[in-house]
Amino acid sequence: MPELDDKRLSFKLVYYGPAQSGKTTNLLRLHDLLAPELKGEVMTMETQDDRTLFFDLLPLGFRAPSGLLIKCRLFTVPGQVAHDGTRKAVLSRADGVAFIADNQRDQETNNAESFRSLTENCARVGIDFERLPLLVQFNKCDLPSAVPEAEILGRWGNTPWPVHFASALHGRGVRETFATLLSLLYHRQNAACGLAEQHGLSEAAFVAGLLGQP
Amino acid sequence: MSDANFDREWQLGDLLDPAQLARVGGALTTLLGGDCAIADGNGNARFGRIAPGARHRAVALELEPVAVVHSASADDRQLAAAGELLHGILRTQVRYHMASALHLEAVAEDFESLKRKHAHLQASEARYRQLAAELDARVKAQVAQLEERQQMLYEAEKLASVGQLAAGMAHEINNPLGFVRSNLSSFQRYLTQFSSLRERLTKDLPAWQALDLDFLIEDGRELLHESDQGLERIARIVGDLKAFSNVDRASEAFTDINECIRQAAAVIEAQLPPGIGLQLDLLPMPSMVCLPGHLKQALFNILRNAVQAVSDSGKPGTIKVSSQATADTLSIRIQDTGVGMRADQLEHAFEPFYTTRGVGRGAGLGLSTARSIVLAHSGTISLSSRPDAGTTVTIDFPAPP
Repeated sequence: MPELDDKRLSFKLVYYGPAQSGKTTNLLRLHDLLAPELKGEVMTMETQDDRTLFFDLLPLGFRAPSGLLIKCRLFTVPGQVAHDGTRKAVLSRADGVAFIADNQRDQETNNAESFRSLTENCARVGIDFERLPLLVQFNKCDLPSAVPEAEILGRWGNTPWPVHFASALHGRGVRETFATLLSLLYHRQNAACGLAEQHGLSEAAFVAGLLGQP
Repeated sequence: MSDANFDREWQLGDLLDPAQLARVGGALTTLLGGDCAIADGNGNARFGRIAPGARHRAVALELEPVAVVHSASADDRQLAAAGELLHGILRTQVRYHMASALHLEAVAEDFESLKRKHAHLQASEARYRQLAAELDARVKAQVAQLEERQQMLYEAEKLASVGQLAAGMAHEINNPLGFVRSNLSSFQRYLTQFSSLRERLTKDLPAWQALDLDFLIEDGRELLHESDQGLERIARIVGDLKAFSNVDRASEAFTDINECIRQAAAVIEAQLPPGIGLQLDLLPMPSMVCLPGHLKQALFNILRNAVQAVSDSGKPGTIKVSSQATADTLSIRIQDTGVGMRADQLEHAFEPFYTTRGVGRGAGLGLSTARSIVLAHSGTISLSSRPDAGTTVTIDFPAPP
């Protein structure tokens, strides 16, 4: 649920997925690629052997024509199975989720397991999964062991969730994923937050404001 | 939204308590040359007083300032350094606070899932307990059923062998019986012819009379008649035995139950001790499909018990057998005026091998077998009894459609 006072509107977006699928890498690349009006540093909490134990946080923001400060706080969850309590706590109060899957054949089980845990945890922390802005990114598409896109689309094409392909390490598909997530977020929140009505923000302006496009 | 959430926007007051702020502010005052004030994100001074015309430097953790350092005594470079210092302190603090808040939330979540798992386990344990109890009950029921079946099998075998013996005996007895009867009838004719001799004897009549041949012929006729009656009785007993054993009809048959009652009663009647009367009071009943041999065995067992009960009482008594049919039931009542049963005996009366008699005087199988047979015919059997007043056995069968 977004936090709104008279000066600022704050959204929480969560990068969810199995261990080492590239959630933190997505955040680091976004920090490099985006140029919104306001951009904080990536705050990386405790890690162990380069693996997230708590979460990473990237704050982004811009000012709407109405003067309202729109803030987007991007979090990653720890992917390892053992940290399910932490994962649930980070997922709490999320306004949108990017599910980062590891697009290698031997990771298909882990992806499915993690996706299932996402649906379960949403129910546990009181998120309406049916209405949650959600998309799926298949990461590491540059690796030779990657599952072909056609096969993925054949499997995921009929789901309600947009699918993106990425190679986060090389910065490919990261920005597009985020842009799609922002569109989904806009559609979900526009009416409730009066983005167009009160603050003069079209969908394009909303996405562009956070991506940092002219 | 709760203040405990790890992902809230942390403010200066959350990150440094007044004592910590006083220590940091004190140190910065010294470093900045004597004047320093620290305001929060909303511009309210939290340490020191903001001097008029003081320079200031904002410190942001995410996007917006959480603190602003004001100083009238410092130059821009000093102020920038102070800002950097405070930023470092606040960044450490926010990491610490976020981590600990998240940790608390995660522990709470883990605890919740543990509780859920615990509840789940308890539910499944309860389910298994119930399952075990049900299984136990089913095993017991099956064991009881097996015992009962075994009992019936034993009885059926016994009945079959007794029946075969009876049928064999009946056959064997019928043969000599036939020629004895035929011989006696011939002898009767001979005797008549022999008596006609008297008319021809005129001279030697005194010798006839001396030998008392008139009496011999008369008595001979009497003896032959009695023997004939005796043979008649033997023939009837053999017939009853054969009908009762029913070896030729061991399978199901469409039978009048009254007929079964009569046949069982005929067998028992032949063995009745003096002073015991057997009275049949049978109303017409529709025939039903049954195992007549088994049914007769059941009735015989109950009648035999009744006879024993009356004998045990040491008084003359009656056994009354009545039958009647209603729209949905065929009922048989066997009532005796014997010793009766106490409540504790009544309770066990149908159990196999339960007997009040001494060794060798009853195996305790009579009523148990009768009950098995009645149940096998979809019927019910019940006992009512009072000590010294007598016992009534009631058998009900569902009326044939």
